[in-house]
Amino acid sequence: MPLKREASWYKDAIIYQAHVRAFNDSNGDGIGDFQGLAQRLDYVQDLGVSAIWLMPFFPSPLRDDGYDISDYKSVNPTYGNLDDFKKFLAIAHDRGIRVIIEMVLNHTSDQHPWFQESRSSRDNPKRDWYVWSDVDTKYRGTRIIFLDTEMSNWAWDPISKSYYWHRFFSHQPDLNYDNPQVREEMWNVMKFWLDLGIDGFRLDAVPYLIEREGTNCENLPETHTIIRDLRKRIDEEFPGTMLLAEANQWPADLRQYFGNGDEFHMAFHFPLMPRMFMGLRLEDRKPITEILQQTPEIPPSCQWCLFLRNHDELTLEMVTDIERDYMYDIYARDKSMRLNLGIRRRLAPLLDNDRRRIEVMNGMLMSLPGTPIIYYGDEIGMGDNINLGDRNGVRTPMQWSGGWNGGFSAADPESLYSPPILNPVYGYPAVNVLSQKRTEHSLLSWMKHLIQTRRSTHVFGSGSIEFLHPANHRVLAYVRQLEKETVLVVNNLSSAAQAVELDLRRYKGNILIEMFGRNIFPRIGDLPYLLTMGPYQFYWFRLRRI
Amino acid sequence: MAEETLLSDDFLRQLINVGEVDILVGLPTHNNAQTIEPVLRAIQAGILKCFPRERAVIINADGGSHDGTPDLVTGASIDDVRNVLKIHTLRTLHAITTQYAHTPDPALALRTILAAADLLRARACVVISPTSTTIDPDWLQRLARPVYNDGFDLVSPLYRRQKFEGILMSNLLYPMTRAVYGYRIHEPFASEFAVSGHLVSDFLNSEIWNEEWVRVGTEVSLTVMALTGKYRTCQSFLGTKAHVDRSSSDLVVAMRRTVGTLFASLDRNRPLWSTINDSKSVPLVGTPSETEEPEPERIDRKRLWEMFATGVRELEPVFRTILSSTTLAELQRIAALELTEFQYPAGSWATTVYEFAASYHNAVISRDHILQALVPLYRGRMLTFLLENRSSSGKDGDKMEENVEALCGEFERLKPHLLKLWADRR
Repeated sequence: MPLKREASWYKDAIIYQAHVRAFNDSNGDGIGDFQGLAQRLDYVQDLGVSAIWLMPFFPSPLRDDGYDISDYKSVNPTYGNLDDFKKFLAIAHDRGIRVIIEMVLNHTSDQHPWFQESRSSRDNPKRDWYVWSDVDTKYRGTRIIFLDTEMSNWAWDPISKSYYWHRFFSHQPDLNYDNPQVREEMWNVMKFWLDLGIDGFRLDAVPYLIEREGTNCENLPETHTIIRDLRKRIDEEFPGTMLLAEANQWPADLRQYFGNGDEFHMAFHFPLMPRMFMGLRLEDRKPITEILQQTPEIPPSCQWCLFLRNHDELTLEMVTDIERDYMYDIYARDKSMRLNLGIRRRLAPLLDNDRRRIEVMNGMLMSLPGTPIIYYGDEIGMGDNINLGDRNGVRTPMQWSGGWNGGFSAADPESLYSPPILNPVYGYPAVNVLSQKRTEHSLLSWMKHLIQTRRSTHVFGSGSIEFLHPANHRVLAYVRQLEKETVLVVNNLSSAAQAVELDLRRYKGNILIEMFGRNIFPRIGDLPYLLTMGPYQFYWFRLRRI
Repeated sequence: MAEETLLSDDFLRQLINVGEVDILVGLPTHNNAQTIEPVLRAIQAGILKCFPRERAVIINADGGSHDGTPDLVTGASIDDVRNVLKIHTLRTLHAITTQYAHTPDPALALRTILAAADLLRARACVVISPTSTTIDPDWLQRLARPVYNDGFDLVSPLYRRQKFEGILMSNLLYPMTRAVYGYRIHEPFASEFAVSGHLVSDFLNSEIWNEEWVRVGTEVSLTVMALTGKYRTCQSFLGTKAHVDRSSSDLVVAMRRTVGTLFASLDRNRPLWSTINDSKSVPLVGTPSETEEPEPERIDRKRLWEMFATGVRELEPVFRTILSSTTLAELQRIAALELTEFQYPAGSWATTVYEFAASYHNAVISRDHILQALVPLYRGRMLTFLLENRSSSGKDGDKMEENVEALCGEFERLKPHLLKLWADRR
């Protein structure tokens, strides 16, 4: 049964990103599936999140972990079938959890029947569904995204003896969105899933839909026209559905994807994420405030999507060269941790498994303007395996217990889709849900408390933000405000205790109530408000005038 | 902490905001509005270029400027430098200022900077003169890098100076420091230098910190501590040193701060320096700059000659308490020379200085009077140096260096005389 569709539900949402394959295996074949995922929805509900975003679960040769789709209207048989999906969806909705699915618009797998037809002959009716050329010199101004594996955005097709365009792997040919048939068919695909009752799409790789000579083939006006058309249809036929853009771009370019509130509802704030890591290691708020000051205003109905880690590498495309060098040196000194222009590691290993750092980063994630996304496993501090290729090291099985395969699957360990993490620090015997559920002070318990506190107010999801500028640059402080509610957030980015004086005179007369312990702090007066903070400590204060 | 009252509450509040740093650049000022901006820009650029990842702070210790110098420091925007250099900064760069006193006191300014460096646990503390308008951003690297990266504790500068700049340094401080403490540091007490946090901390926590001679000549005593302790010292080529106009009263003040402190340091360190028989070179970092030698200032030689002769004549009673009869006779012989044939020989000068040092030690009269009495004699030595080197130019700078080297040789050769004086007068 679909959940009631409040228009702006996504603004107050907390999203949990999971991969069906990696979450829970119900049938003992070593691969996670929808029945297994459904069995674990009590956990997701208990965590306190309000939505789950699933990575691609469609039939696929899985050469890019499902982002190479070969059938858009079905479920990969290893994960179950469409009925399994429907049951999962119903249970999720029963538990108040919305479901966001992935939609890879830009490209298909080269195994998709559309591409097979398209390449079969130059006069095939689907020939023009992809971008073909007799030469590999068109669109020269276009960057290559997967620098580590691809030499060109063109690949030679020996069958039709011509080149096809691909912005990602060469086995992922780009669809031709200049073709109205393609646009119509992709709408049909989306409609198929919307009819089943899903609550939103995360649209993959949206800046690259259109190619034009003499441009960098990104963020083109025609792409926005396509997005606006999709949005219009969705608003008319499936109101309350959320569209989330994956567009790894600078804030000014990202802004266009919100349009006048008539394109995407949400977009990932890619440039912010690496700067949060940078600010933490520099012990300096500058990278964070700088990028947020450069972030343009967005329409009131729109929202940024914030994340610390996800299924991809920690992308460093949206940083300067000096910042990238710094990030590599600090977070990926071992070169095998690097991939493309990024770092393929999970949250806990990136932060040296330092609980305090993990907490302050999550604290910022939950209190900066936007809708936070938690990547599965990060809530218990899962580790990664950099010995696995590509980004597979951050996509290992969820660690449910210290038992067989970490409680993920009853299969023989050799037949798991991926070896689970087994090292003494991050392995499932040490890091798992079951053990963390048993202690009040585990990371999991703390995360639940954090989420609960975040959800206790709308101010974080919809409120304005105003940065304070204390002279102590190690402290990041801001005021979130929504109507009569005001929350002061103070983060110590330093590994050492800090004293900070905050200019809160405009809130004179208010007392501060610390939101986690509900303790009262002194009333704000005329003098600078002095706070002392432990290493990586953060405060959320509700301001009350009593 | 070594000195709890050195830092005002307001300054302390600013330091709390800065927090721990890797590099601290100290800028002691007093009415330097005319020159401070280019110096500050060079420092900012140096930090951005050479230490983009390091935590850095610029600390201005001001001695009660009336020309708005502190405002210029705190108001200087890093963005201007950043835009010119097209460098993205990773970190916040603080520039803070404190008024340590209402009247200028370079030693107190330096003590304030060192105390701040210690509190902020700076790994390298660089001090830059606000009058060094010839500074370029690389100075920062040349001073800080040996400390920050190579583990040196004291980096002393090597300048390209106007021919007759720094004569007190080349004719007294350098040769005497070299002979006494055994290290060939050409600018032992310069207005630019870098020290390690380790040395700063030891200095502030040492027993000498509160002694009067250290209070007066902080930079000298810091250098002496580096030379007499197990600290690694090097010299770094900077570049051209800007000429600074000084009045004659400045010389007396400089004498007190430098020569007086050097003399005073002999008391405490005798067990060490009395065993040193020769001198050794210290590592050089970088390469000399190829810049043109600046045009020398015109110096009134006749005036120096007159001041020397007058001094010898009028201060004879004072000299009788300070100098041996042989040395006094030699001074009187020199004072009788015409300007054209004037020469204050290196050996005589070294002997004079040593006898002043011994008298200073024994405080035969007020120590301040002893130093003031040395001033006219120094002018005579200065005149000799000008005359000896009048023909040497930038390309012929070796001749001047030879003369300085010869003078140092005399100081070293006559060091037994100093030891004997010390032993006799104890």
